[in-house]
Amino acid sequence: MAAVGDRPVGVGRRAWMVVAERELRDLWLAGRGLPLLLAYSVLLSVTSYLVAANQALNFLEQREAVSLTLQVAVAVGALLVLLGAADSVSGERERGTLESLLLSPAPRRALIIGKGVAALSLWAAAWAVSVPYVWYLARGVGVVGVAVASGLIVGSLLALFLAGYGLLISTILSSNRLSLSVSLFALLALYAPTQMPTAVQNSWIGELLLRVDPFTAGLRYLGRLIINGHSPGQDAGWLIGPIVAAVVAASLALAAANRLTLHGGDQG
Amino acid sequence: MAGALALQARGLRKAYRGVVAVESLDLEVEPGTVLGFLGPNGAGKTTVIRMLSTVLRPDAGWFAVAGVPQDQPVEIRRRVGVLPESAGYPPGQTGEEWVSFHAELFGRPRDDARATARRLLAEVGLAERGGSLISGYSRGMRQRLGIARALINDPQVVFLDEPTLGLDPMGQLQVLELMTGIAREHGVTIVLSTHLLAEVEQACDRVLILHRGRVVAQGTVAEVARRAAAPRRGLVKVPPQLRIRALEVLAASEAVAAAGAGDHPGELVLTMPGGAAPDNAASLALRRLLEADVPVLGFALEGGRLSDAFLTVTEDR
Repeated sequence: MAAVGDRPVGVGRRAWMVVAERELRDLWLAGRGLPLLLAYSVLLSVTSYLVAANQALNFLEQREAVSLTLQVAVAVGALLVLLGAADSVSGERERGTLESLLLSPAPRRALIIGKGVAALSLWAAAWAVSVPYVWYLARGVGVVGVAVASGLIVGSLLALFLAGYGLLISTILSSNRLSLSVSLFALLALYAPTQMPTAVQNSWIGELLLRVDPFTAGLRYLGRLIINGHSPGQDAGWLIGPIVAAVVAASLALAAANRLTLHGGDQG
Repeated sequence: MAGALALQARGLRKAYRGVVAVESLDLEVEPGTVLGFLGPNGAGKTTVIRMLSTVLRPDAGWFAVAGVPQDQPVEIRRRVGVLPESAGYPPGQTGEEWVSFHAELFGRPRDDARATARRLLAEVGLAERGGSLISGYSRGMRQRLGIARALINDPQVVFLDEPTLGLDPMGQLQVLELMTGIAREHGVTIVLSTHLLAEVEQACDRVLILHRGRVVAQGTVAEVARRAAAPRRGLVKVPPQLRIRALEVLAASEAVAAAGAGDHPGELVLTMPGGAAPDNAASLALRRLLEADVPVLGFALEGGRLSDAFLTVTEDR
């Protein structure tokens, strides 16, 4: 008999692949993947237009225009992952389809990994959409390569963090609405440090907060690379927050997966 | 694990936030049995099924399914099939896609999973609709689909939680026939949780009645009916002109109390006192009537059915 955690029986595919394929089909063929991507494209188009117009009027440096667009692309792309992940388990609970999944011998962790892969696909698609915008704005100042690469790295770290966080919340909570609300509230809290007064941001506690918060740290890193022209290694310290957050959130989501079970009032 | 019991449980307990759902549940079910699992709403039936199918952890107690102890939940899940109560189905998938997906989760290669899905859909009468979206399925078709999914791993034990809930009488009959047919064909143990007592009398070998999380009766259908709801009343038909004579004869009998049956001049109601063996008391009363030359045109004992037993053991104690 096959080892638990890999292939449930015989020569079938690994359980996480089976779940990921099903989730990807549901998300992109029958779900909200395409509408979300369309909304993302519209947002990016509007952002690009506005920054390009401001740049033409000399209100913005071109590097600032690239940085702003990149930050919007990364932040909103990661937000899409959160929306996908926060619905994944609690949505199954509400629709009454979780019990059927739990009745399979597939490891709980495989179910969560499969759902996580589907949620992360939203980031991959969003990033693919945003590359032409970044290229168009960045081509005049020679930062196309660094913008695309750094955006991919920071966005992937934030997407992994939000996927883990969303899956964790979705696993714990019974209600889909509650799961989405808690996830979005936490996301807003992560953006809050950007609204601190400049004086506070420049104090040691302000900088610590900005570095610990994976969102502000990641976006600051992008700004320093694009606007200040720093090398990727020069400000690598700003990536510690996003890396730690991504690892911790993904680990917690996998740990919670092992305790994934029905709740008292769950339907079939 | 040959010769192992299909189900075995000792002292199972489960509470939700302090509210006890199942308490001290002991259970033994032989392989191949069709067990009727009865109880009023909230009796704990679904909780027991969820514990035995390892999707809920018991707070206390021990159980084994098909000889596999509870500390090997993955192995138990390989051996059980479950039709959950009020199961949800993804409306955007076809029946074949959904069953095939679950077959793959049980480790079947993709082609084998599809072939298994098609075979099972044909077995439950959905061959023609396997390629249709589930959103277009009726309630009965969804239940059949759920039964097909419950069989994808050739289970040794199948739990059916309210399989006829919400179905019309024809749908109930079809699902019941399907279920008993599968039980016969595959030789599996079936646990049928239901409120429809006629279903249990018709389809089940044994019955277990749960009330407030505790087992209040179990045995064969006949045993439970006899033990829990022994008949205490009988209706005797005699010629109307001999009714008074019959009452006089029976008044002399200590085994029963007799009275006229309201508007029916030829009918008498016999009441057997508690503690007496009802069959013996009724026989004695009928013999007295015959010895007194009062013809007995008809006789029927009331009670003694599973429904009576159910009401008897689940009324508040």
